[in-house]
Amino acid sequence: MPALTDLLFYGFAGLALLFGFLCVANPLSRNPVTSAMFLVLTICSLAGLFVLLNAFFLAAVQVLVYAGAVMVLFLFVIMLLDLKEEERRKLNKVALGAGTVAVAVIAGILIRAVTSAKPAADKLVEGTTKPLGRILFTEYLLPFEILSLLLLVAMVGVILLSKKELK
Amino acid sequence: MTNGDYYQLLKLLAPEWTVVGTVLAILFADLQFWRNRSVAWRSAGAASILSLGFAAAAGLLIWKRAVTADLLGGTLVLSPTSQYVKLALLGLAIVTAWLCTEGEFTKHVGEFVALIALATAGMMFLVSTENLLMVFVALELVSLSLYVMTAFNKRSPRSAEAALKYFLFGGMAAAFTLFGFSFLYGLTGSIHLPTIAAKISWHAGDPLTLVAIVLVVAGFGFKIAAVPFHLWAPDAYEGAPAPAAAFIASGSKVASFFVLGKLLSVGLPGVGGSGAWKAFSPGWLAVVAILATASMIFGNLAALAQSSLRRLLAYSAIAHAGYALLAIIGGSQPALLYYAITYAVTSVGIFGVVAVVENRTGNEDIAGLAGLRERSFLLSVALSVFVLSLAGVPPLAGFFGKFYAFAAAAKLGSSLGYWWLVALALGASCVSLFYYLQVLKQVWVAPVPEGQGKVAGGWVVSILLALLALAVLVTGAAPELLIRFLK
Amino acid sequence: MSLTPGLHHFLVVSALLFSLGLLGVLARRNLLVIYMGLELMLNAANLALVAFSRFNANLNGQVMVFFIITVAAAEVAVGLALIVALYRKRQSAHVEDLTSLKL
Repeated sequence: MPALTDLLFYGFAGLALLFGFLCVANPLSRNPVTSAMFLVLTICSLAGLFVLLNAFFLAAVQVLVYAGAVMVLFLFVIMLLDLKEEERRKLNKVALGAGTVAVAVIAGILIRAVTSAKPAADKLVEGTTKPLGRILFTEYLLPFEILSLLLLVAMVGVILLSKKELK
Repeated sequence: MTNGDYYQLLKLLAPEWTVVGTVLAILFADLQFWRNRSVAWRSAGAASILSLGFAAAAGLLIWKRAVTADLLGGTLVLSPTSQYVKLALLGLAIVTAWLCTEGEFTKHVGEFVALIALATAGMMFLVSTENLLMVFVALELVSLSLYVMTAFNKRSPRSAEAALKYFLFGGMAAAFTLFGFSFLYGLTGSIHLPTIAAKISWHAGDPLTLVAIVLVVAGFGFKIAAVPFHLWAPDAYEGAPAPAAAFIASGSKVASFFVLGKLLSVGLPGVGGSGAWKAFSPGWLAVVAILATASMIFGNLAALAQSSLRRLLAYSAIAHAGYALLAIIGGSQPALLYYAITYAVTSVGIFGVVAVVENRTGNEDIAGLAGLRERSFLLSVALSVFVLSLAGVPPLAGFFGKFYAFAAAAKLGSSLGYWWLVALALGASCVSLFYYLQVLKQVWVAPVPEGQGKVAGGWVVSILLALLALAVLVTGAAPELLIRFLK
Repeated sequence: MSLTPGLHHFLVVSALLFSLGLLGVLARRNLLVIYMGLELMLNAANLALVAFSRFNANLNGQVMVFFIITVAAAEVAVGLALIVALYRKRQSAHVEDLTSLKL
């Protein structure tokens, strides 16, 4: 009788992969909005996996920042540009086949590699707000401060890039 | 961590904070006081503020040049070498900022100069860390600034396209690097390079280690434009505004090479494997040797076919990335830094000449340089010095840089293991002479086209270009002047 | 491999997700969808880091994911602004229309 958490793992993992596949290679729709929606679902399933790994804070951040802010930005741009469904242009079958094979080989190598990983410790750490906050403001204070510069760059850059150049 | 530690952090990072303060001063002055001024006035003003602020930061660096520190789990590691590399980065940024006064590619020149300063801050953090997390954050700070700078010319559609291409490849590079970092973390339980080095040697030869190495080297291969991860470079060099291209070719290269060298030599010394002749064994030496081979061959051959000056420079940069990888293989930090810094000085100089010529003539081809000798003697001489240095002609810095890098690789391993790579590099350098001389032929031999007048840059840019040419000459003739700071 | 999910199970999911993202980047032609593929790759790295963090019993990996999420948000903003700027010039968000620069 498998435990509930085991079932949850297989559920979330299956959903994440299924939605991820539908995001990049949906056989039924080429609409970027559909892809964006499936990306949201992938990200939410990943948040579920994070909870199973005891990363509670990150699971919340994942849903808030990724599924919330980032995806809203994606959808906003799709609506702004008023993109039509991706036209079914003539696909270069050879290139597509070669690409798929290459990716499949890479996937094989990656899986072969990761299954050789060994868990180092069986102690349990909980990724709750308190320990994460403590480590963030002591050991990782400097990168945390640098993130503010990064956000400044993004702010200046985005305003300048998306503004219409006035004649 | 106590309050005293925070104070120490503030003190040690005084040059960096000065740079950040300069950013804010430029943004504020441009927004508050200069809205009604001409673009030329504002670019000169912004470049002046940047020069003043960076000079102050450089003063702080020189004052505290003997500092050594290792704080906060390796997120801040200072050594005299890192301080001197930061000095070089500040100098390159100042030249880049003054290039903005050549040609009006945007009205928002204050923001552009501020982004140069922000990218410089990122590079300074990048060279003073031994922590994977900090490497990632600083690298992204540099990259994001450069993407935005590349797209700054909103009048030219090529600018936005080049930036998008640069961005997509850069994003992929970041994903590769991160996946590699996650494996390194998984193998060792740490993101601190010396700790990783201590633990990873036990795992040498297992597939996870190898995949991690390949992913990390591939990710940095994008940054330094090594074949086969170079596809963005020609377009970014061609489409970006001249100062942005200059900074991508100079500051970003120095910082990326420094951090790649550090990552491999400090973080992964035990899993180098070998790229020696008939003694190949998996490890980063083998991976880097393959990248270097491909870059040298492909970069030089593709450069032969170019008619656009900037694309030629891009392919030459790819070839030079291959040469510099030899210094990484040789494991010689002074050789790598000497090569990267002199190469950066040369490229920023060439882009300075390109900016002036393009601005005055509007011609981006090599043919646009025709008869430059009559139109501007200073630019002709400076360009010749830079191009000959890239070609590796003694006594210029490029010659000694190559010599030092090749010698480092040749000395490695027993029984001439890496001679195949050095021989290849020498052959590639000979091929490269051909296209570099093509450029000089236009300058010194080709007839002056009809109706083309004098070409002259602003006086600050002219002085800076003359100084850069002089620096290339002096560091080439007396390399010890530079090398003693890099040991 | 046992059926009880351990480190390997999470890492296999992560590797597959990374490959799916790569497939999206290589095979799709719409810039926005390519960009979503990149996000999938980043998320795969996040999953690997959290899994390693759990099984190495330290929080470094989770802190790193925290930073990656923040950086990715900034990067998405810049990337989408670039796509908007390009669209203003070209009226298209397809890779094939980036013709004026050679690949």
